[in-house]
Amino acid sequence: MKTTTVRSAFVKAKLDYKPVLIVATLFATLALSSCASTTPTCASPQAKDLGRAITMVQASLMEGCHAHLDRYYDDLLSIAEGDPKPENKREFSQFLVWSSDNGLLSNRQAQDYYNRYFNIKFMSLKGDYNNCSHTCPNKQKVLFDMERELSDKERGLLRVSLDNNGYYRADRLYQEVELVLEATCTACAAGR
Amino acid sequence: MTTRPRQPSVSVSVHSAPGPHRRIFLSVVLLAIAIVVSQAALANTPTIRLFPTTVVEDLKQTGNVARDMETGLQEVIGRLDQQQALYVESKCDGAESDTGCERLARQIGATYLDMLTIMEERLPDMEHTVNNTRQSLEKSLRNELGKKMTPWTLQETLIGGNANNAATQASPTLRGRSGMRLSERFKQYYQLVATSGAKGDQSLAVLASDIYLDMEETTLLIQRTRQEIARATLMEQLNQSFGIITPEMIEVVGGVKSILFGDAEGQALVAGPPPGSIEEAYRSPLEQ
Repeated sequence: MKTTTVRSAFVKAKLDYKPVLIVATLFATLALSSCASTTPTCASPQAKDLGRAITMVQASLMEGCHAHLDRYYDDLLSIAEGDPKPENKREFSQFLVWSSDNGLLSNRQAQDYYNRYFNIKFMSLKGDYNNCSHTCPNKQKVLFDMERELSDKERGLLRVSLDNNGYYRADRLYQEVELVLEATCTACAAGR
Repeated sequence: MTTRPRQPSVSVSVHSAPGPHRRIFLSVVLLAIAIVVSQAALANTPTIRLFPTTVVEDLKQTGNVARDMETGLQEVIGRLDQQQALYVESKCDGAESDTGCERLARQIGATYLDMLTIMEERLPDMEHTVNNTRQSLEKSLRNELGKKMTPWTLQETLIGGNANNAATQASPTLRGRSGMRLSERFKQYYQLVATSGAKGDQSLAVLASDIYLDMEETTLLIQRTRQEIARATLMEQLNQSFGIITPEMIEVVGGVKSILFGDAEGQALVAGPPPGSIEEAYRSPLEQ
């Protein structure tokens, strides 16, 4: 009598586990599939209007695409090149301030992103040591970096913001720095 | 305990002042504040001393020496030109054995020697004054721009206070052949430096660099020219025995003329940038 009761209980228990297992499997599959559908695609903004493109980029960045910020910035510049105007400067500035406020960029990074493209001054000339000791030994590299930055300024100032005067001033500044560094470094070398 | 009553008379006297007087009073106060603030700002701005009095004097002296050399050479070069023209008109090319042509060639050779002698006499003075200018500028550049400045402060000096006002004053002439007399060039340098008080530091840094590099090149050229003069004099003394005009002579005379008296072809016409928007430029809070 006792053995019969145990077996029947076992059989009964086995029968009870089956639907639970099925439900658990279904739930896990569902959970996994729902995870896959929320993974951001991080696609480039398709809008032709800079304002709308920035909104799309901001949404993507907030969805976890912050690692793509570099590419997005480049995309936005390309979109702005399609409709160049002085107000674009402000749009980019506001976007970078937003990125900084949301912790996607440090304040310094935001400044670098902005100034490299939209300011006359060269970020390549950042440095805390005097020219004789630091700039002159690396003069060629400094000038090479400036030249690359000048082409970014051409894009930001000239092709995105239509700031012709700003770009030509940056170009002249590059020439002046080249001349002054040549003279200064010659003088530094003569003093050794 | 007594409380001190307010003194309405003071506020009344200010508030009851007539409109125009009050406005004038406020304007004067604001102006005074602005002057004080700007003076303080100027006092805080580091000034660079690139042109001490010695440099200004050296430039003036170099200009005078260059003028003396030009004056001495002008007459000889004029004579050389006439003799060369006569040689060509007499169809002496290819007829060197002709007695008249041989005599003309010797005369040209003698005048060429005169030119070399004058240069030989004047160049040491020139070399001395150019060297003085170069050394003074070298020291100023090394200390003021090399040791006291970082690349960033140098950039800010070059931009000056008008980073956003791009279409500003005409910048000092950058390097390259100026196409003018040597003495004129030094005179211009002297005038630029002597009147530099009205200019900003940004112009001075470029100007000092320009003059310094020019002096460097001039020093090297003078050294090489002096060496060449010794060789050319010897060659011409030998040529005098044969009465030959060498292509080198013509080339040297042409070169001296071009250096001393300028070369119109050397002036390049560079188009200015297209006019940009005059609108007030946007300033980002991120801008540095």
